[in-house]
Amino acid sequence: MDEKIISKQNLVNFCKDIVANGHNLLAPGKTEYNLIQDPSEIVLDTKSKPTKASYKTFVFPKAEPILYYKRGKNDVVMLDAKVDEKKTVIFGAKPCDTNSFNILNKIFNWDYKDDFYNERVKNFIVIGLMCEYSDRYCFCTSVGSSPVSEKGSDLFLVPIDENNYAVRIVTDKGKEFIGAYSKYFTEGAPEKSKAAEEKVKQPEVAFDSKQVHEWLGKNFEHPKWDGVGDLCLSCAQCAFVCPVCHCFDLVDEDYSYTEGRRMKNWDGCQFGHFTLHASGHNPRDIQGKRYRQRINHKFKYYVDKFDEILCTGCGRCSRGCAVSIDIKEIVANCTD
Amino acid sequence: MENIYKPYLAEITEIIDETPDTKTFKLRLKDAEVAKSFNFKAGQFAEYGVFGDGESTFCIASSPTRPDVIECSFKVYGKVTQALRRLNEGDTIGFRGPYGNWFPLEEQKGKNVLFIAGGIGLAPVRCVIDNVLDWRKDYKDITIVYGARSVSDLVYKYKLKEWQEMSDVKTVITVDPGGETDGWTGEVGFVPTVVEKLAPKAENTIAVICGPPVMIKFTIPVLKKLGFKDEDIFTTLENRMKCGLGKCGRCNIGNVYVCKDGPVFNYAQMKELPEEF
Amino acid sequence: MEELKKLAKELLENKTVAAVIGYQQVDDKRTKPIIVTTPEDASKLVFNEYCLNNLAVYLTKARIKNLAKQNGTTLKLGIVAKPCDIHAIVALIQESQLKREDVYIIGMNCHGVVKDYGMDFSGETLATKCTPCDSHKPLYSDSNLGEVKDTPKVSDEVLEKIQAVEKMSHKERFEYFKKEFDKCIKCYACRAACPLCYCQRCITDKTVPRWVESSPHSRGNFSWNVVRAFHLSGRCIGCGECERACPMDIPLSLLNRRMTETAKQAFAYVSGRSLDTPTLVGSYDVKDSDELFM
Repeated sequence: MDEKIISKQNLVNFCKDIVANGHNLLAPGKTEYNLIQDPSEIVLDTKSKPTKASYKTFVFPKAEPILYYKRGKNDVVMLDAKVDEKKTVIFGAKPCDTNSFNILNKIFNWDYKDDFYNERVKNFIVIGLMCEYSDRYCFCTSVGSSPVSEKGSDLFLVPIDENNYAVRIVTDKGKEFIGAYSKYFTEGAPEKSKAAEEKVKQPEVAFDSKQVHEWLGKNFEHPKWDGVGDLCLSCAQCAFVCPVCHCFDLVDEDYSYTEGRRMKNWDGCQFGHFTLHASGHNPRDIQGKRYRQRINHKFKYYVDKFDEILCTGCGRCSRGCAVSIDIKEIVANCTD
Repeated sequence: MENIYKPYLAEITEIIDETPDTKTFKLRLKDAEVAKSFNFKAGQFAEYGVFGDGESTFCIASSPTRPDVIECSFKVYGKVTQALRRLNEGDTIGFRGPYGNWFPLEEQKGKNVLFIAGGIGLAPVRCVIDNVLDWRKDYKDITIVYGARSVSDLVYKYKLKEWQEMSDVKTVITVDPGGETDGWTGEVGFVPTVVEKLAPKAENTIAVICGPPVMIKFTIPVLKKLGFKDEDIFTTLENRMKCGLGKCGRCNIGNVYVCKDGPVFNYAQMKELPEEF
Repeated sequence: MEELKKLAKELLENKTVAAVIGYQQVDDKRTKPIIVTTPEDASKLVFNEYCLNNLAVYLTKARIKNLAKQNGTTLKLGIVAKPCDIHAIVALIQESQLKREDVYIIGMNCHGVVKDYGMDFSGETLATKCTPCDSHKPLYSDSNLGEVKDTPKVSDEVLEKIQAVEKMSHKERFEYFKKEFDKCIKCYACRAACPLCYCQRCITDKTVPRWVESSPHSRGNFSWNVVRAFHLSGRCIGCGECERACPMDIPLSLLNRRMTETAKQAFAYVSGRSLDTPTLVGSYDVKDSDELFM
């Protein structure tokens, strides 16, 4: 893999050029990834806590129009919804975030292709950053990733000393992108970045995902589901901050007597009404069943269907849970 | 960029009041090109949308062998079906489909077919019945058992009459005890009981069954007792759906998306699924 | 702490309660809710500055209520509650969601909790709901436990923010809230964590007709957050759980606190403080000021 070096100062210049070229530039803040106007404000810190929300909203928006309509007396005219074709560069993404597109690509592209998602991903450049943050909720190493994983990044940054970063060129898309900014990059020294990586403390592996998969296959009925279901408050915090949860709702909203639009909005499997039929029948009528669905979808069903774990191990869902439900602990206990 | 969520526009050419709360729409796709190339198979479903109220999922009730018109039937329950009820002939709705899998009718040629339906569950079965009747010579004995809560809840009365008049089709219609009227000449009793009394032979027979969950629950053991194999009992699942495209996650049961891997399942497949339907 | 474990064990053993809703330790700076149903598990109960949750939210949950039904009789539900949590219990009783005799309140003396898990307890890390708090001893309880200690004195951050927002022009204020509400993702964690958001079917989930747009865009978010603030006016007891639960850091307490202050000034009413008073909305008097009606 090709590797370059960029100084801290040039990194800021690089970002300034990205903005000047009319691209969207995103960088992690405290709550979410923010759109950056002034790149000198970006604080690149490998030790920073993951943002509370992931950046999936930039490829799979929390609310997006999928078509517009105009009603006449008997007829209807439909107008297409367009996706902004602007390039978006995400800067300093954690490895537990960068892998998300690889996972989401599967659901949005099996058989029918969701081009609202695909078009945005096509215009996305992911610049990952090695991570040195770790708390009790992190478990990237249990789901096949690591704090130095380049999976999903187009370019990957590793700090090699006080003033310089190694820049790994992971994909052709990444290579092509930095071509226009080559003046900021010098030749790389892979041994330095390798040494820096080796110093990173890896979160302990909390569970064996294959064993969990097997256990879930045998324990659809288990008292633990009702146990956690009784504590869970049935909100969608966990699903909405998740980098890979992808359930959605389709709703129409009028903005005048004759005009409106059809929206695709995030939805969550922990809401009681998610699976509620109009007749009143609900296949997942109690919270225990819904929590079981969440864990099974992530660690069994998605694996069976798409050969990917529907989880990046970022720990956001647990960190943000109002009643401290810890997915790592629950999954680690999915064993006999 | 292709928009998989964009429906076709369809005109309601005729509205039939089936029961006080059930209607049938006959539809014509407005785009002539689309209408010409449109085809589907028995058991597939579609998303029917009222612009401003949203979309709802029902099977296509007409047979693919009669492609000139698309029919759907719906019972008024929620927001979208209430909006559909308010529409008139000549109005435009959105139509997305066909989606999902279908009943394996080609593979079952040469067999007897037993149809069992309850209430509005006759809609998906009707599509298969008409399809099989259009291919009549390819199948042996055809039996239809249809039940509803009361006489006024029977849908497709004109169809029932047509089937009853056919000499090569055995049609048994029943209403739940207490649901009969003075002049009622059909059976009185619940569908599972009527099937048990009728005792259709299981050998070389497939059963196509659809109705309320409770009817299916009690009819399957009857079929098993009569000797039907799990692989020969077919039903169509009606989990809540939004996209119909295997994306939105709503109809997910185990590793199956009802909208893509279903809605048609045989009983052997259903037994493999977690009980979340 | 031992007295809590001992009491809970006794209550479960002598069948006074069917369950004790309390806190268990996760690590030295974290706790989480636990529903104790056996005397053996009573030893897991703790109480300290890391008991952030308002557990009253569980009292209206159908499955938790069902726990109380045993062998044809209904036992009480025990709950470990801070004085502020007891305000929520009182409000639920005032609103007929709960009967006083159905709950056994283990009232804890409290000198404040931390803002979030993983912090040392000090003035700086004191939860914002604790700064104006004057309820350090339970108003109502069946047992009163715990030490009485001084609460760190710090300035009332939320009140200062409210004053700052009030100084803004209408346009600035609108822009301020628009920016905050735009962050909302409609995960409804605020509603889920709120002990007084107990509606079986929330107005936002109703589709025929749809009163509140379900989309998390500006308009839909304004509708939701404003509807919720109005619905909690004169009802919010100020536990701050909505704001703590919000993954997007929306300062919900500004709205709720401001509405609480309004109710206090206009009607001398604060929710959840007295079992003998009817609710604010349930006690219209012709002499009430008309000023707040639109």
